[in-house]
Amino acid sequence: MGAPSGLKDDCEALLSRFQEMDSVRFEDFTELWRSMKFGTIFCGRMRNLEKNTFTKEALTLAWRYFLPPYTFQIRVGALYLLYGLYNMQLCQPKQKIRVALKDWDEILKFQQDLINAQHFDAAYIFRKLRLDRAFHFTAMPKLLSYRMKKKMQRAEITEEFKDPNDRVLKLITSDVLEEMMNVHDHYQRMKHVISADKSNPEKSINLIKDDFFENIKNIVLEHQQWHKDRKKPPLKLKVKGGEEKSERNSQQSERCERAESLAKIKSKAFSVVVQASKSRRHRQVKVDFSDSESGQVQTKTTRKRRNKETLKPAGRKVSSRDRGDMQNIHMEDKSLSLSMPVVTEEDEENESFSETEFTAPKRRRKQRTKS
Amino acid sequence: MAEDSRGDPACGGMDGRQDPVPSSGGFSFPEYELPELNTHAFHVAAFGELWRGRLRGEGDLSLKEPPGDREVTDSGCEDAAAARDLGCSLETAAELRAVCGLDKLRCLEEGEDPEVIPENTDLVTLGIRKRLLKHREETLRIDRACRQETFAYEMESHAVGKKPENSADMIEEGELILSHKEHKPYQTMLVLGSQKLTELRDSICCVSDLQIGGEFSNTPDQAPENISKDLYKSAFFYFEGTFYNDKRYPECRDLSRTIIEWSESHDRGYGKFQTAKMEDFTFNDLYIKVGFPYLYCHQGDCEHVVVITDIRLVHHDDCLDKTLYPLIIKKHWLWTRKCFVCKMFTARWVTNNDSFAPQDPCFFCDVCFRMLHYDAEGNKLGEFLAYPYVDPGTFN
Repeated sequence: MGAPSGLKDDCEALLSRFQEMDSVRFEDFTELWRSMKFGTIFCGRMRNLEKNTFTKEALTLAWRYFLPPYTFQIRVGALYLLYGLYNMQLCQPKQKIRVALKDWDEILKFQQDLINAQHFDAAYIFRKLRLDRAFHFTAMPKLLSYRMKKKMQRAEITEEFKDPNDRVLKLITSDVLEEMMNVHDHYQRMKHVISADKSNPEKSINLIKDDFFENIKNIVLEHQQWHKDRKKPPLKLKVKGGEEKSERNSQQSERCERAESLAKIKSKAFSVVVQASKSRRHRQVKVDFSDSESGQVQTKTTRKRRNKETLKPAGRKVSSRDRGDMQNIHMEDKSLSLSMPVVTEEDEENESFSETEFTAPKRRRKQRTKS
Repeated sequence: MAEDSRGDPACGGMDGRQDPVPSSGGFSFPEYELPELNTHAFHVAAFGELWRGRLRGEGDLSLKEPPGDREVTDSGCEDAAAARDLGCSLETAAELRAVCGLDKLRCLEEGEDPEVIPENTDLVTLGIRKRLLKHREETLRIDRACRQETFAYEMESHAVGKKPENSADMIEEGELILSHKEHKPYQTMLVLGSQKLTELRDSICCVSDLQIGGEFSNTPDQAPENISKDLYKSAFFYFEGTFYNDKRYPECRDLSRTIIEWSESHDRGYGKFQTAKMEDFTFNDLYIKVGFPYLYCHQGDCEHVVVITDIRLVHHDDCLDKTLYPLIIKKHWLWTRKCFVCKMFTARWVTNNDSFAPQDPCFFCDVCFRMLHYDAEGNKLGEFLAYPYVDPGTFN
């Protein structure tokens, strides 16, 4: 389109207000939608041709926010936005939403995530769009006609809507960690096998730090934490001022949301099933929020546990490693479970152990934030 | 001649195809080769298969009217289906139906006109539109669609939703629609994956096809009926290293041979070109890049750049009548040249070196031409050269 039609501003306004609500419920979205009277965006005596072009442009714009790298909440908001735009359009027959082959698998995965996390309203809406046959299944997202002369405006990705670009996490993925763990494990076993004394490997071949692998894992975890803490505080402050009821509600959904997204990130890093989020949600509700502003459950539990466990760090480290090794030998195919709180007693203890290793990095972190 | 090497669509790969498919290795998953410009080459039918495989059995491909449109729906049955798909309880499904109903999205009250922009709106879009409307009201006396706009809209939507009378003409589910854009004359056409290349060739209207060769100042009544289209029937398409020649008639010649010989004479840096028969191939058999310019050549040297801008699965709202395809959906409106004398009729003659004409060349409609250049008995007056003229705007 030639002249800017203000569509991008309006959509981003809606989505950022939805993001501030920190909820993924359709009811909240429709409240926003009605308060902004977004459905009237099609009003204004557009003639047929203009109506078609405008609607096509609106749907294409909203679609962009539905795909990665936007955050989960923005993507759900974009889904609702697409639903709203598709159903409130004035074109007859309705303009369709274009979906390219390369994006379809990602979308199905998203749908599955929604169902797993029990966001039934979002899943219902996507299903409804499909039943209404609102999609055109295409080769590429937009029409290509080899326009070399027209300077293609690179679609700018709104930074606030994106997940932080975590290069550390991209480097050390769950696969890499699992690989490392297996190699480490194998190496230790080899050392045991070739040394004379079967229980203790020879000192002369002690060439690496035994806890190297765990240290890496903890550092990565802690880095994730830092990322989230960096991002969350400004939003959290906004939520605090409000009516008690809505605060409770929004906190509830916020907790759920945060728990869910936390669990998602963790699970991505350590290939643990997202189902952990359910258990997390219950746990989080119990935790006392009045302690600190950040309201991160992880840090809370770590602080509590840390106070108990600071006494014998060195000894603990060894035992945790042994236990970790034993576990690994038992569960070869299962991914790392050393610090992921799946609902078993054993793992709870493990969490506490691994948190001890947090002491050193935690101190470092404090220094960083102060300076 | 590679006419027998039709790629096997089912296998999704490039086996059995001799033509030089570029380095992509013949995958059928469309991906950008040059970002935002064009994709790698892929096999059309295999691409279709990839989509159909993902959507089988989900009702996405059906061409019947979707059930959601009808008012009276069995809500209990709907809830059960929803509960089954989402893995939730029946109560939840019923609740969802209420929560996600369209009434939650309505922003206009009953009786409010959707044409009127509401007051005190925050939306930037509406602000801009309001200003534009105000400006139009102030500057235009009559605010209605101009001819070009109506024409463009008509072209886009004239065939939408058309169902064939004969059910045998119905498009099948899962058919692919390619959007084919041609330059000079600018037109965009929709063509079905199962249609042959020759059908597209026949539907491309180029004015050079209609030219009538020859000078007819002495014998204006004998302007032959044969247009170039009938005389010179050869044509070819060039896609991805293969020239598809039209060989339906014995007069058709292989126009691509010149190019192939030229490229092979020295090491020009082009791969080996193949030739094939246009009538043997459908669009489903081709390897093409979406967004990449290819060539259509006819009349010996009349060349058109063609681009496949889009490929998608057929939808129930599309035109479902097979016989209407290739379907023109966008066409450049061309102003026709009118007769110099009456300024009313489209020009049918053009003259050169004409002593009667104020300019060279000069255009005349049939009546004015004869009135000016011939007497009542039909004798030629004065000196001039006259050629029959076919205006490009004839196709409007």
